[in-house]
Amino acid sequence: MTKWYMLSGKENDVAVSSKVSLARNLRDHVFTNRLSTEEKDQIADEVSAVIFEQLPEKFVLTHMNTLSRYAAISLAERDLVSPEFVSVQEGRSFLTTPDESLSLMICEEDHVKIQALLPGLELTRSYELADRLDTILDEALGFSFDNKLGYLTQCPTNIGTAMRGSVVLQLPAMRILGRIRHLSNTVSRLGLVLTGAYGEGDSPIGSLYLLSNQVTLGISEEAALGNLDSIALSIIEQEREARKELMENLQFQDMLWRSCGTLKSARVMSFQEFMEALSVVKIGIAAGEFDLPMNTVNELIFAMQPATLNTEAGEDLSRQERDALRAEKVRAVFADVQQ
Amino acid sequence: MLCQNCGRNEATTHIKRIVDGESSELHLCSGCAQHLGYAGMFSGFGSNIGTLLSRFFPETAMLPETEEERCPGCGATFDEIVRSGAMGCAECYDVFYDRLKPSLSRIHGRATHVGKTSATRDDRMERRAELRRLEEERNAAVQAEEYEKAAVLRDRIRELRGETK
Repeated sequence: MTKWYMLSGKENDVAVSSKVSLARNLRDHVFTNRLSTEEKDQIADEVSAVIFEQLPEKFVLTHMNTLSRYAAISLAERDLVSPEFVSVQEGRSFLTTPDESLSLMICEEDHVKIQALLPGLELTRSYELADRLDTILDEALGFSFDNKLGYLTQCPTNIGTAMRGSVVLQLPAMRILGRIRHLSNTVSRLGLVLTGAYGEGDSPIGSLYLLSNQVTLGISEEAALGNLDSIALSIIEQEREARKELMENLQFQDMLWRSCGTLKSARVMSFQEFMEALSVVKIGIAAGEFDLPMNTVNELIFAMQPATLNTEAGEDLSRQERDALRAEKVRAVFADVQQ
Repeated sequence: MLCQNCGRNEATTHIKRIVDGESSELHLCSGCAQHLGYAGMFSGFGSNIGTLLSRFFPETAMLPETEEERCPGCGATFDEIVRSGAMGCAECYDVFYDRLKPSLSRIHGRATHVGKTSATRDDRMERRAELRRLEEERNAAVQAEEYEKAAVLRDRIRELRGETK
């Protein structure tokens, strides 16, 4: 089955994915922290009944407690669920379309979290997908809402639109040139936040950053996403400029070819090593040095994740076997890459 | 627990993460959380709910509970909400509104909701707010010995509650 991350998206030399999430609570139930496991399962039944009946897409319902640890973590690696969601599997369930672009987390922090994920920079379309699902569920089940406070959520920081839009940006050139700190300070003054997508804040794996809106009360969905979109575009431009600068630099060219060598010939490769090399090689691909479609490269970011490889290739794969399998798969993709 | 980044201050922000195919938790002090980009908010929803909310209630949390007012919707007291960092139900927003207000305005400013509205919203919240206002007015009228006014208000309260006279 083709997943959303295998497809090509706008500005995908820098923007990996766009996501819009809406947090919602059913009016006739207390919030998740006060629900028993049975009541949580009941909410899963209520929500999935509406989804199965009223939506044209074929959704699949999964109770998290039926998944192995690796299968659950793989969902988080592919950004389908939050790390918080997989930390406890009891009483939690998850609905998704086969391409995984539309999904619902049930009984995470709020009763329902609707999510739409698309490749590249596609916030408006992501919102349209999430919004349609939200309207159908609201009409059938009724969501907690107040005229002044908007959608009511378990945590008061999310009230209002209860919407979070985010874009995953790969910014290797700005990181190499030491421009991330300044960028992060600038976007925080504009009501957005820039964090590392994987790993620690200051040195995220593969230079993947998550840009998202912070304010949910007093700003409409369209305005918040419009703001996010235009700032994302401006960061994308800055990254492209930085990449051009780097391509002029002999030291960087050496780094680029060495990284390409790693991807073409390594026999054992950790996820971190793979991501660092990939983020550098991506600069070469964008500059036309190597001939490889950008969506093939972006797909690897999701497919080469540790628990995702374990889920696909067998649960009892040791760490070293996993790193060998990753190296083998990456070599296959980069085998024919030449100058 | 000490902050995993600086190793000096008490960790107050706890972030669930996936590292190398395993689920793990990062414990940071507020300074490092800020510095590492987990500033005052969350990378998604639900990353560090508990500590997040209690940080927003520094002074209200100190108020002594004179009597334990419980939310009729879920039974939560305000103290429980502050300690768990989570509202008990939608009704809590109405019942504890006055005590939430300073924190809400610290998080959101003076903003009110703009954007999509629920197609099926009911007016229960507004009705409750109106009821409280009328009850206060009636009590004031009784205190001022304006019994006629109090009787009118009592009838309106009964009407709003759906009680027959």
